[in-house]
Amino acid sequence: MNQPDQDNAPEIRGRWSMRQRDIGIAIWVAFLAACVGTFVIFGVMDPEALNDAWVLPWEMGRKLAYSLGFLFLFIVSLIASSLTIFMIRTGPGRGHTTGSGRRPLPEIKDPGEDNPDLDIGEWH
Amino acid sequence: MSGSQSSQETMYRKEPKIYPRHVKGRFARLRVVAVWMLLGLYYVIPWFKVGGHQAVLFDLPARKFHILGLTLWPQDFVYLSLLLIVAGLSLFFFTALAGRLWCGFACPQTVWTETFLMIERWVEGDRSKRMKLDKSPWNANKITRKFTKQLLWIVFAAWTGFTFVGFFTPIRQLGGDIVNLELGGWGTFWIIFYSFATYGNAGFLREQVCKYMCPYARFQSAMFDKDTLIISYDERRGEPRGGRRKSADPAELKLGSCIDCTLCVQVCPTGIDIRNGLQYECIACAACIDVCDQVMDKMEYSRGLISFTTEHALQGEETHVSRPRMWIYGALLLVIVSGIVWGMTQRVPLRADLIRDRNVLYRELPGGMIESVYMLKISNMDNKPHRYELIVLENDAVQFDYSRPLELQAEEVGDFSMRIRMPASAGSGTQNLQLLLQAVDDPSIQRLAKARMLLPVQTNRAGQ
Repeated sequence: MNQPDQDNAPEIRGRWSMRQRDIGIAIWVAFLAACVGTFVIFGVMDPEALNDAWVLPWEMGRKLAYSLGFLFLFIVSLIASSLTIFMIRTGPGRGHTTGSGRRPLPEIKDPGEDNPDLDIGEWH
Repeated sequence: MSGSQSSQETMYRKEPKIYPRHVKGRFARLRVVAVWMLLGLYYVIPWFKVGGHQAVLFDLPARKFHILGLTLWPQDFVYLSLLLIVAGLSLFFFTALAGRLWCGFACPQTVWTETFLMIERWVEGDRSKRMKLDKSPWNANKITRKFTKQLLWIVFAAWTGFTFVGFFTPIRQLGGDIVNLELGGWGTFWIIFYSFATYGNAGFLREQVCKYMCPYARFQSAMFDKDTLIISYDERRGEPRGGRRKSADPAELKLGSCIDCTLCVQVCPTGIDIRNGLQYECIACAACIDVCDQVMDKMEYSRGLISFTTEHALQGEETHVSRPRMWIYGALLLVIVSGIVWGMTQRVPLRADLIRDRNVLYRELPGGMIESVYMLKISNMDNKPHRYELIVLENDAVQFDYSRPLELQAEEVGDFSMRIRMPASAGSGTQNLQLLLQAVDDPSIQRLAKARMLLPVQTNRAGQ
């Protein structure tokens, strides 16, 4: 329904490009994971109790600890989800396992077949 | 695991097993040296002691890392992060300079796979023998060879797993525990886990780790430019390829230098054909260079049909080692490494925290003095015992005493309860205290401990 492209073929455009969708998915999944993670971790652990054992030189209140905890989990999850999408997108294509999407294997033959002077025995 | 390497299958096909042919030559020797050095370090280092500690020990329960005589505490976290950044930057630097040097010669995946292949070759023979053995029916010979190989692999993997755990638990004690069958549950679990990981990655998955699992393989090309060393087949010289007799004149046959022996494919641990150009599967192990050079020698052609070269060199242009990205990576590396070295020399092996007892605000003593209870937490990060003293800065009216002498053994952490007194007339409300903790035998070891002390607010004498 949008403007036809150069080949005059009707093009139905989505609102999002593939890459934008990937980024959106990565952020959303990371957010969900961070929510669950924050909920579980601070459900069983009081950050205030850690203050004396804290490695960093400042004391933090609960609100700050909750926020930093969430942010940390969000960033870690975001790294994981972005990397997952990156690995899938850059990896072998769909149909790979059935062979259709896979590059044909390089052909291998006996080195001496067409090269009578090549004594292959030497490399055994 | 079919041994078939035919190309036109479209039905479901498992990842075909790759039987890399053994190769000798310059780069193969270099890799063997790298394998021996890296694995040698890995298996030997935990057995040595430096400065009374295991040479490298990441003592997680004690929250201390011992690295070649240096003890890192949780407070030194910043050095570890900087070291990680240095490792990352070095990877960028060397990738831009020499391509996937890491993959072909230093990556643990390559190093352990190489070792597992050595064992395999020793028991089952080289490529063609292994392929024949896999196709043959199960007879006594096959069972013996397969069993021996698996046994050696498992023993080697188990030793690897044991050594790995030995970097986190004192290895001599760990060894003793195993001999006496006193190893705990978690120790056993992690040894088996890492043995299994070694066996699975080096014995079973091999090149699939590089092809499907490794993120570096996916983005390393972003660090490449036309001056990066890559493994490359000289297409202009090699094509058209074809078999011929040594005495034949290639020009007469209208052939290039490539005799199409396919040995470069047979030696490739990832099973690719380098003559199709640079592919992301190529781990730059240079096995194809070694084997091709031998074939060229045999045919009395000049070497270098496949070589470590740059795109610029292939196009007959000049290769530039000095280029902006090298300078930027290099400068960053230099700055961070100098920062770490400077930081380590300036590091004071002492930490002091003064924590006020939250349960009691203060106590009024006769004579107009106010007293608060504190906990002084001292970490002696030095490798010898020290006795410490406290000095009050900027406030002569402050008095204090502590429960016991401030003495700590090497690398000991101690809590000392102490009382600090101040005349109520010295101020009103919150007072900031600055106390200097200093080693008696070495005044250069000192730390400032800050604390707050509450005095009754003067306008409202009642306090709380």
